[in-house]
Amino acid sequence: MSQQSPDEQSLAEINQSLYEDGLTDGLPVIPPTDERVDEMLRGTDKPRDHVLGDLGNNENVITVEQLASNAVMAGCLPTYMPVLEAGIRALADPDSNSIQFSVSTGSWAYQWVVNGPVREALDIETSSGAFGPSFHANQTIPRALGIAYRNTAKIYPGEKDMGVMGNPFKFSFLAGENQDASPWEPYHVTNGYDEEDSTISLSGPNGWVQWFPDENNAENVLRNMIENTPTSMRASSGEDLNATITHFFNPYNAEELEKEDLSKQEVKEYLVENSYRTLDGYEEPRDDTGKVPPRQTQQYADTDAINIIAVGGPGRVNAIAGTSIGGPVTKKIEFPDNWDALLDEYALEENWVPTEGFYD
Amino acid sequence: MGLVTPSSTGNDTEQKPLTPRVDSLDGKHIGLYDNGKPAAEPLLTAVQEMLAERYPDATFEWYHVEHLNQIKNDEEQAAVTEWAEDVDVAIGAIGDCGSCTKFLTWGIEFIEDAGTPGVGLIDEGFELDYQSNAVERGRPLRYKKTPVRCETTDLERVREEVTDEVLDGIVDELTRPLNDKERADPVAQ
Amino acid sequence: MARDDADDESIAAVSRDLYRQGMTDGLPVIPPTEARVAEMLRGTDTPDDAVIGRLGNDDNPITVAGLASNAVMAGCLPTHMPVLEAGVRALADPDSNSIQFSVSTGGWAYQWVVNGPVRDDVGIAGGTGAYGPNYRANRAIARALGIAYRNTAKIHPGEKDMGVMGNPFKFSLLLGEHEEASPWEPFHVTAGHDEADSTISLAGPNSFVQWEPAAREAAAVLRGMLANTPPAMVGGEQQGGDFDQTITYVLCPESIDLLADAGLSKRDVKRYVADNSAIPVDEFQKGVLWEGALEGYHGRVENAQVPQIRGPEYVRVVAGGGRTGQYDAVIGPSIGGPVTEGVDYPDDWPALVEEYGAAE
Repeated sequence: MSQQSPDEQSLAEINQSLYEDGLTDGLPVIPPTDERVDEMLRGTDKPRDHVLGDLGNNENVITVEQLASNAVMAGCLPTYMPVLEAGIRALADPDSNSIQFSVSTGSWAYQWVVNGPVREALDIETSSGAFGPSFHANQTIPRALGIAYRNTAKIYPGEKDMGVMGNPFKFSFLAGENQDASPWEPYHVTNGYDEEDSTISLSGPNGWVQWFPDENNAENVLRNMIENTPTSMRASSGEDLNATITHFFNPYNAEELEKEDLSKQEVKEYLVENSYRTLDGYEEPRDDTGKVPPRQTQQYADTDAINIIAVGGPGRVNAIAGTSIGGPVTKKIEFPDNWDALLDEYALEENWVPTEGFYD
Repeated sequence: MGLVTPSSTGNDTEQKPLTPRVDSLDGKHIGLYDNGKPAAEPLLTAVQEMLAERYPDATFEWYHVEHLNQIKNDEEQAAVTEWAEDVDVAIGAIGDCGSCTKFLTWGIEFIEDAGTPGVGLIDEGFELDYQSNAVERGRPLRYKKTPVRCETTDLERVREEVTDEVLDGIVDELTRPLNDKERADPVAQ
Repeated sequence: MARDDADDESIAAVSRDLYRQGMTDGLPVIPPTEARVAEMLRGTDTPDDAVIGRLGNDDNPITVAGLASNAVMAGCLPTHMPVLEAGVRALADPDSNSIQFSVSTGGWAYQWVVNGPVRDDVGIAGGTGAYGPNYRANRAIARALGIAYRNTAKIHPGEKDMGVMGNPFKFSLLLGEHEEASPWEPFHVTAGHDEADSTISLAGPNSFVQWEPAAREAAAVLRGMLANTPPAMVGGEQQGGDFDQTITYVLCPESIDLLADAGLSKRDVKRYVADNSAIPVDEFQKGVLWEGALEGYHGRVENAQVPQIRGPEYVRVVAGGGRTGQYDAVIGPSIGGPVTEGVDYPDDWPALVEEYGAAE
């Protein structure tokens, strides 16, 4: 057995100390040494003291350097910095309502969707298992943004974060849209960006339902989308904040909808038109007009409150994430001048599939 | 400084040969192996109809696994091998999810154990899954990708999707001579 | 597993190297050096080379040392070892159906519930934010068991793990039951263990829905449970009776108070949910693992109703979350288990607990 070096001793100690100070999520972090933060800063052309935004109740500022420190801790590569910077801009956008979903008793999560060429550049997974605990970029980017928010806004569980249950996917909910497999325009294009732009979008849901149609055809897909939306999820867009629901579609089921010539907008219209639920006395409309409340209400009030995003690989499992109590907001990702060189330098290839050479 | 491996030492599976193929399906007794997945029966039904048309002298015999996971039982495994001994070739379906693809490779393996050439029909999205499960079983088990999307049980639709090309592919997997790897030829290793 | 580049031992380099080999979840890991694994093994009296169980298609063995290596990587303390060993026994139990929920397209998660005194000994949280990215023991233990399964069974995303979407809480769904907040018998006692025992229980669900009951009354709690269980969550005997499909409700202290004050036992609550789970037959979604789920119902009466949950035995109720508000959760459907395993301690347990504490 080898001797334990002082450096290794300190790794445990540093982790323990950062955890005790409430600066991590409880899992190991990479100590954010000056050297590592400097290396992380290679991923941006902005000065280290540049303020990216302010977060939380007290509008605490977050600089590029502080973001880089959280990125190091979370395990990011320098090439992830452009995505992280755009993510911070999304969190800092009041329309995201990020402060409410960071602290509310409902235990909300940060839902991140990445679009455009950056997915391929950084190996952000879009297919089988994209949301799972499997892919470097998909796991480290939402973690970095989650702890950066926590450490900037200074919200700690049971203190300012009052989530009753806690959300098991709060810092781990990111996928790239599977644009290639989608019959529809990409999500960021629907949100007004150019197809060649790269973007990151933020919402704040607290529930995650997976389901699949009992028959593989468009009618069953549509029907089951509505049936599997739990009663507590409601979608409506408003003057101030939107309550939105996201449907993540696998490529196979998207293909079934395409066969019936349904556009993304038509799918949303179907949801709105067919989502009447009876009220049962507990769920009166919140705006008390003094009139007798209606017997039925639309669970999906309007098409603007619905997001449809293609994610996933072979199979017919879909997912519903909601209700988001803020956003969605979408921000464009901007790259440093030496982007291509950085990508070459930090390529991180997966080498875990052992079938090569077994079949011809 | 050494690291302690977090992975299992595993079983170094010895590579085993496939069963030699047949010259033609003409006049053969063809086995149809349904692994218990709902989409298996309609897919094999459509394949059987086309084979019957192309090979009027061929005969057919089915094996149904009632529930997908029953193939884990020793008696079920033995029953598959016993059944496969009585057919000349066998076509299995379907690999269209995580567990059923795995269990399909198991079924094809038991068919090969009987000395009968087998081919598994899979949804094209499950190719890597089929291959890696076959690797784990120690045989480059043969398969044919079909355009039939997973979980599709509408027979009319399956009939449309099983084209002549698909049938040609199935026939090819049952008749194309083995290569060195498939013979597990020690020289080729 | 020898490494030849002595200079390349930093946590960042080792994390990336192990990631490339498919041995992590993408987040940083503590390098499992011989010294660290030896320290981890202080948490068990079982010999290093003892096989705890066999996992995956190929029944690959997992030894105590192999588990300890994964535990180091995940960020566990030596005091977590007894819980991890019991967790591996649960994974190795065929009744858990862990292989199926590890590879299926449904994108399942490992759901862990810990009971008994071990929760206090090692700091496993059950109150406010327990499911969130907050508590070291909750996160590290769930992560260690997840990567230990992956590394032993050798399953990787898109290769054998065919989860279409991937599950964002696959390796992070662990709760210590909030036994102290509940007047009902604890989960492990219902499962047949003594109250003084410590246990860990495993199930395999794929969805997580939270809601705020519509009123502060017992009827609203019960109604919320029914209304928020989507039809994709079916409870009953599946796969020809080899497995049960179960649904877990995690109820917060305020909700449990309301139910208990109304005179309801845990059993009463389960029975209520099952008895009132009827849905129209054309909304019933049997799932891929079912054959003949509607036998006895189909074709008898037009639009007959069928129970979504076949009986109280397919319902689990767990106390969880804090008193910062009122939110309840439903987690399901589990396609295996639940299985419960007792936690066995090493002889010097009190000294170890003293040494490693449950520091926050």
